[in-house]
Amino acid sequence: MKKIAIYATILALSGGGLYSVVAAEKTAEPAAAAATTATEAATAAPTEPLVCFESRKGASEITQQDIKPGWPNVKCSPTTGAALWYGDPFEGTVPMGKMPGLENLPEGHALVKPRSEKLAILPMCGTACHNGVGPQFNPPTLPKDKKPTAIPTMEGLVPDLANFQHGRGRIWCLDCHHTTQRNKLVDNFGDPVSFDQPQLLCGKCHGDKLRDWRDGIHGKRIGEFASNGKKRWFTCTECHNPHNVQDGVRNRGFIQLQPEPSPQLPRGMANADHEKVHPIPH
Amino acid sequence: MAISETPSAGPAKETLSACPVQPASADPSNAVVKTTRRDFLKAGGMLSMSSLMGTAALMTQSDDAHAAVEWAEHFQKNYRLMTAEEKAEAKARLERRYSAEYGKQVSVDTTDAQPGVLMGYALNIRKCIGCRRCVHACVAENNQSRGKERAGEKIEWIQVLRMERGKFEQEKMNHGYPEGLGIQVGGNAYTPAGLVLEGQYHYNPEKVPEADATYMPIACMQCEKPPCVKVCPVRTTYREPDGPVVIDYNWCIGCRMCMGACPYWARRLNVTNPVLPKEEMNPVTHYLGNRPRMRGVVEKCHWCLQRTRHGRYPACVEVCPVGARKFGNLLDPESEVSKILQRKNVFRLKAELNTFPKFFYFYD
Repeated sequence: MKKIAIYATILALSGGGLYSVVAAEKTAEPAAAAATTATEAATAAPTEPLVCFESRKGASEITQQDIKPGWPNVKCSPTTGAALWYGDPFEGTVPMGKMPGLENLPEGHALVKPRSEKLAILPMCGTACHNGVGPQFNPPTLPKDKKPTAIPTMEGLVPDLANFQHGRGRIWCLDCHHTTQRNKLVDNFGDPVSFDQPQLLCGKCHGDKLRDWRDGIHGKRIGEFASNGKKRWFTCTECHNPHNVQDGVRNRGFIQLQPEPSPQLPRGMANADHEKVHPIPH
Repeated sequence: MAISETPSAGPAKETLSACPVQPASADPSNAVVKTTRRDFLKAGGMLSMSSLMGTAALMTQSDDAHAAVEWAEHFQKNYRLMTAEEKAEAKARLERRYSAEYGKQVSVDTTDAQPGVLMGYALNIRKCIGCRRCVHACVAENNQSRGKERAGEKIEWIQVLRMERGKFEQEKMNHGYPEGLGIQVGGNAYTPAGLVLEGQYHYNPEKVPEADATYMPIACMQCEKPPCVKVCPVRTTYREPDGPVVIDYNWCIGCRMCMGACPYWARRLNVTNPVLPKEEMNPVTHYLGNRPRMRGVVEKCHWCLQRTRHGRYPACVEVCPVGARKFGNLLDPESEVSKILQRKNVFRLKAELNTFPKFFYFYD
């Protein structure tokens, strides 16, 4: 309730600026970020905590702190702010929950970092508008069928929707989001799926990727390398933004990001221009 | 000589001996002289030894952990020949020295290869975006030298190679033809792919991946038939039973034979005194892995022995943002590397050299 209250305050403060309040993710929101760190601030040093992103900017993040003297939970890159080294790979994780194909793993060996904590407007989705009981929404204005309709409010909330490319126009909101429970995703049978388990949804279409992910070939796992070891699994949306699969500047697979610094030049070498010289002129 | 040990063996045996010179000790009168001389030498030797021991004792008693350890290190055996007690001694010695040197509790692990484990690595070459996070994770984990001032002070084990994507172009359709009646050597309608001598290691764009490039990280391939092991004159580099090729840094003489032999440019020499700030030093180390090195020794990737011997993923695997790096037990059919070998298109770098790397490249 406290969390909801915070968001409600933010919502009230920004007045007409609903657009500015609810970017899809918390990172861009200093107020929301402050709310996250508020709990830790009591125990942590007064200095600004160092927060680094894990796979891509805007997805999961981790706050640097010492587990024991001289042993941080994470080391962050001073150049890019990316997480570079894990002292504790399981920090902030919860059990993955039921996942078909992974039943043989020992209890508590499959962990994920909850995505719902990162999604800024998620707590509001089911209460503020899509609660189905508010005066304006009584009876709730649910779509009659699955035909796509432009929803200006939602486009205001998630700017990526203006040029929505996922599925190349063959899918729309309610193919992934639950019709009546908007803080849930939806599986093939219309049953709600938690935002912490997007693999159950994404696997509906991307079955080959789901199979590879389940076997550890696609995606990322950290922790113990043994096949039945304790691992933190990175879920689909920690690396991919489903609302923006065709990033304009990106040219393949993964969103573009800043690289870490290049290696030191050997003695007597002023620059690395020789690398660009082709042995065969063309 | 057997005959000198049995001086009273009898004439029959002496005639059998082809040795033209009579053994000195056979004659008791001579033997007396020899014994005195030997005693003299022995006494002298004892004297000098005891003085050395005295010095050693003095050094051990001093507060300088470094000096005492240096002394002991010069007389320790090759790691593979050490007994369990000697390993424990070396471990305690190093822990004491590193803890004093870096101002924190440093552990030096000597865990042996675990039974039933053969480590293997796979890298999805299609996924790599060239962000170099693995390179810097490796440095954070493995206590490489990271100075900035002088050349050779910054050591990185992983190199990310940027390769151009080639293309064929309409504009170049007429290139490559001779003027008049020359010898035709073919067309030049292509822009060569990957023909940039050794590739680009120093690329530094604003954002990766670039549209016209692919990336190929290389590091030690942990070959099954490692050329570096074959050439090492002091046999200080060798393949561990669970796969990785390791170096006993104390026995490395810095001759760089292995660097010349390695076809994958995987080995680095500490040309300068390693620069390792105290606060950045990783205190969890392995004797054959990431313990701080000295000047003049060669080092390379060892698949984070200090982690993998205890079941943890290597540091580079854990930070790869695209999940291109995969690590597992090749003997376990359920491990991710085994699954990749079963299911994906896999190749080894420079397979024609018959080094049989346990590092595989694959693509979807």
